[in-house]
Amino acid sequence: MRYRSIWSEVAPLVAKAERPSRYINHEWGSVLTPEADFRFCMVYPDTYELGQANQALRILVNAVNARPGMSAERGFLPAADMCDALRQAGLPAFSIEGCAPLNSFDAVGITLPHELAATNVLEILDLSGIPVRAADRAEDDPIVVGGGPCAYNPEPYALFFDAINIGEGEESLPEGLEVIRSLRAQGASRRDIWRALAKLDGWYVPQLYGWRSADEAQAAGSWIEPVEPGLPITVRKQIYRGFAQSSGWEPCVVPFAEAVHDRLNVEILRGCARGCRFCQAGMMYRPVRERSADNVVSSVVEGLAQTGYDEVSLTSLSTTDHSQIRRILTRLNSAYEGSGVRISIPSQRLDSFGIDMAGLVAGQKKGGLTFAPEAGTQRLRDVINKNVTEDDLFGAIDAAFEAGWRRCKLYFMIGLPTETDDDVKGIARLVQQAYEHARAVVPKDQRGSIQIGASVALFVPKAQTPFQWDGQIPPEEALRRVNLLRHSVKYRAISINWHDPKTSFVEAVMSRGGREASYLVEEAWRRGARFDAWSEHFNEQAWRDAADSLGMDVAAIAQASYPTDYIMPWEHISCGASRRWLVRERALAEQERTTPDCTFEHCSGCGVCMDLGVDNELADERVLGSAGSADAAGKLGTVAGAATEEGANAVAGDCAVAAAAGADSAAVANAAAAGPIGGDAR
Amino acid sequence: MTDPNAPRFFRLRCIFIEQGRLAMLSHLEVAHTLERTVRRAKLPFAVSQGFSPHMKIAFGAALPVGVGSTCEIFDLQLTEYVAPDKALAALRAASVPDLMVQECRYIEGKAPAASVAFPTSTYEVVFEAPISVAGIKVPETVTVVRKRKEKTLVVADYLVQPFAAVEGSPERVTFSLEAKPTGSLRPDVLLEHCTLPARTISITRIAQR
Repeated sequence: MRYRSIWSEVAPLVAKAERPSRYINHEWGSVLTPEADFRFCMVYPDTYELGQANQALRILVNAVNARPGMSAERGFLPAADMCDALRQAGLPAFSIEGCAPLNSFDAVGITLPHELAATNVLEILDLSGIPVRAADRAEDDPIVVGGGPCAYNPEPYALFFDAINIGEGEESLPEGLEVIRSLRAQGASRRDIWRALAKLDGWYVPQLYGWRSADEAQAAGSWIEPVEPGLPITVRKQIYRGFAQSSGWEPCVVPFAEAVHDRLNVEILRGCARGCRFCQAGMMYRPVRERSADNVVSSVVEGLAQTGYDEVSLTSLSTTDHSQIRRILTRLNSAYEGSGVRISIPSQRLDSFGIDMAGLVAGQKKGGLTFAPEAGTQRLRDVINKNVTEDDLFGAIDAAFEAGWRRCKLYFMIGLPTETDDDVKGIARLVQQAYEHARAVVPKDQRGSIQIGASVALFVPKAQTPFQWDGQIPPEEALRRVNLLRHSVKYRAISINWHDPKTSFVEAVMSRGGREASYLVEEAWRRGARFDAWSEHFNEQAWRDAADSLGMDVAAIAQASYPTDYIMPWEHISCGASRRWLVRERALAEQERTTPDCTFEHCSGCGVCMDLGVDNELADERVLGSAGSADAAGKLGTVAGAATEEGANAVAGDCAVAAAAGADSAAVANAAAAGPIGGDAR
Repeated sequence: MTDPNAPRFFRLRCIFIEQGRLAMLSHLEVAHTLERTVRRAKLPFAVSQGFSPHMKIAFGAALPVGVGSTCEIFDLQLTEYVAPDKALAALRAASVPDLMVQECRYIEGKAPAASVAFPTSTYEVVFEAPISVAGIKVPETVTVVRKRKEKTLVVADYLVQPFAAVEGSPERVTFSLEAKPTGSLRPDVLLEHCTLPARTISITRIAQR
């Protein structure tokens, strides 16, 4: 199909759409290259306001546009009303900048930000007139590539992508596109392009691999079987080696529509080596790479001047772990005092240093703070390697309420491996003690305003983590444990939040399923499932019926536990952390033994640095209990979503919080670290 | 002035156009965009004091989504005097083409707010084909739903200048609506309720007074 703008045809629909500003382009910073011999559209598989702030989208569009002769545009799934209106009018989904049909591009990239976006991938392909299965595409259909956090278990998406890019896409994606461009120019067939991509580092081409039965896979040590000789059997993640030296500012679009995370985002570091055993982001973004204080400060100054934003978020998986964080915040504070510019840090350490840093940026406005102890007892925190003690938490609570905060939210997970009723009751105990600490430091007349909330999410086992072999607890059991927790809380000032995890079986299947899950996705979509992350759109029946019609036991996929010698369906994808290390971590969990963070202490031998030929890159030395931490013993804890403002804290990188976000469409939106195609570090 | 120590600001009135696709922006989206434009233009804007500091900027009467304009207004308080032509150049360099500042001038600190100073708006409608004004049938009343309540507006109360032909442009007509303290009639809503001889292409606010 010829590349052209279809604006005149879609304009009447846009005028009647729920929010026209999702579709109109022309924002500050929007770039369209009129002449290009290769056109790429980078799609976020949800609506504009959820996808616009996605850092990966911005990074990758910029990276591709930087290549001579290549043009990159943004694409989003139209909202449900617009999807229907377009279908009714016989019009395809279109790119933002050029308003061109997606099937007129040479290649389309779709980021896979979280487990509930799969049916949206099919929705946008179908709406674009692109066959949903890669095998059904014609020679002149776009090459559809995927990537992002969910690509670390690509099998549930295997049917739909021509190729999947594993890891950080800054360099790897344009390289793959160059291959597509040159082969297309030579008139190569789709299959030839598949072959060439499959031989490129970091690219997985599912159609070139057969899928073995469970028995065959266990015997062979891998689920995939190349359909022809000469194909790799392991695909290793790619990392952007220039990250630390590259500028934290790069051109971005300033949306008209109110988008989530609508502010300047400066990624100050990438990776987290704390090693929480449930956390996929912690495994897949290794090693840790910091941008220097000078880089960060000048990036913020430049970015605010260029965009006109009045808020900047210093994003990462663990912002207050940055070795120069105090210097960064102090300098930014003095630069922006009295200007109305707000600085937010989406994640901070669970100790008094974390509070100190939060205090530096909060100014007068102290909303709520969020911490993630994740588990209620020291035993279970040791199991999950959340290196946080009660003293850390209480030290943070004391410091926060003394400094003037009055609201605090604590995130926990339920259903973690080895959890007992004592651990569940331990959550209640911990929260109550936190409340007592808060009361003790708050003046008597203000005690009524103390609010402590506990948010409880169901553990979702994630691929590429030490807990990948562990099953999810059944929904009835989850409910029993939540009720046990609720009944164990005695103070009225404490609220326990529990989102009924209707979607959690879908998340678990997408997280742990093999290639059979991609048939399930297709069938669920055919039965009407889309926008699964939106509670008002989630169609549980479609998923259940799809599973029934395929004879799939989704509960078993979610709940089955395996010994660590069992080969999981994603083991042909390597995030760098070795299988041996994951097995050892799982064993240490069983023994309730912790593993230190290699950016503070010694190497734990995860294998990433050796495997990828890289190293942690720190701007300065990280010192335990540094920079005013009261806890010189140095048990530090990251916090997933601590920010000075509620809503602003929708999460950096902690799986726990990401899981807690559940069906809340806004919170699912976007996390911090970018990098791979897709940047939702969940 | 009652408090001689109160800070004195320079009040800059800016006129801007809103056209093309950007006519589809909501009032709030326009407001956010203009604040960011002012920041990008690096004008010395005043910031409110207190718990949640924000830019001292005020906007004129809201324009309905889908209606364009050649004469929208925002007032900006500056802490320092900047020559109007310099301010205009800075704002224009920081604006997107279809939401472009056209004119800047200083007004009295005590002048009425832009949102109430100009109750009467003149709109120009462009039709798909040449029409005769006589072909437009205006209803006596228009019933609208506001906050889930039905409200019947008498058109004559609002339509202060009836539909009039534009000389030399047979596909264009103009009309003026006056906003009342009790409410107003939207130009697009009025047109929806009229019997029109041809399809409308666009509605643009061309004057506020």
